[in-house]
Amino acid sequence: MCDVCGCGQHDHSHEHDHFVVSDDTTKRNVEIKKSLLSENERVAQSNREHFDRHGILAINLISSPGSGKTTLLEKTIEALKNELKIGVLEGDIETERDAERVRAKGAAAVQLTTGGACHLEAPLVHKGFHALEKQMDGYPDVLFIENVGNLVCPSSFYLGEHIRVVLISVPEGEDKPAKYPKAFKTSDVFIITKSDLLPYFDFDVEKVKQEALSLNPNLKVFVVSAKTGEGLEDWFNFLREKVSEKKGEKVSGG
Amino acid sequence: MHETSLAMGLLDSLNQMAEKEKAKKVLKVRVKIGKLSGIVVDSFVFAFNALKEQFPKLAGAELIVEETPILYRCNECGKEFEVETVFFPECPQCGSINLKLLSGEELEVVDAEIEV
Repeated sequence: MCDVCGCGQHDHSHEHDHFVVSDDTTKRNVEIKKSLLSENERVAQSNREHFDRHGILAINLISSPGSGKTTLLEKTIEALKNELKIGVLEGDIETERDAERVRAKGAAAVQLTTGGACHLEAPLVHKGFHALEKQMDGYPDVLFIENVGNLVCPSSFYLGEHIRVVLISVPEGEDKPAKYPKAFKTSDVFIITKSDLLPYFDFDVEKVKQEALSLNPNLKVFVVSAKTGEGLEDWFNFLREKVSEKKGEKVSGG
Repeated sequence: MHETSLAMGLLDSLNQMAEKEKAKKVLKVRVKIGKLSGIVVDSFVFAFNALKEQFPKLAGAELIVEETPILYRCNECGKEFEVETVFFPECPQCGSINLKLLSGEELEVVDAEIEV
């Protein structure tokens, strides 16, 4: 029998219409059916399980550069540091500056420098969180992950967070939800920052809210100013509530 | 710019697959990318081709991208329709905004052809 195709013929001049001989016998198709993001998602899921096990509320902050992520964190730490243990992972392309800023306010912080990448990925968060655990000698109640300033790429990478927050500052303009829909579609909370500047800009808060909600009806919206303190108390109360929910889950889940 | 990370992730996983399957080389790989996935296909292909040289078994691999359309089904009247934009889609037949997304968010490696 022919050991190439098992056709029982030794004369290979006949037509192999049921089989492609020659080089193709060494070719094979492999089904993969995996997401392009599957490795990131696998690590993100394990981050999430780790956070859940220790009753940690993890929050991923996404915005353009300069929207006020770090300033909002500074205000949040000042207000809540006596009631909650706060840990921060600071994502940037370069420098330790943001980690230094939040440490100065009294939170534990680890700087994640991506060395060029425009977003954080789950494996870097995993590594950074272990460094944070060491620094804190324990676990935070709430973990803030400040993403690299960028309204595009970070929205594609799940890090294991429970809550995703997207921020827009008033000077950036009211067309951001329309132009960067994915960040809004994948977030849970939308914070409009620098509201003290509203008198100086054509920024219609209601219109922006409506556009964002039409992309994602489940968004919880806050309008804040770190300068005047407007709206911050609502944001703090939201955090208090979510942290205690998370603690409750841990207790009830054993 | 995250197309580069995704292309690198794809190459890594293909390389692992090639080792596991004891392949001499990978000839083709097919991926599905939806128009809502946020991936710029040209950048992704560019990054794939620029980086594949680093993997001896992948250096000759051809990347075939199937771009999937943004397809909705109306939950009110059942009409299925395609749109080009993510913003404010509504049913062209009855005007409803109660819609189910059928395709457009794909980011999937379908299969690969290998030489063993």
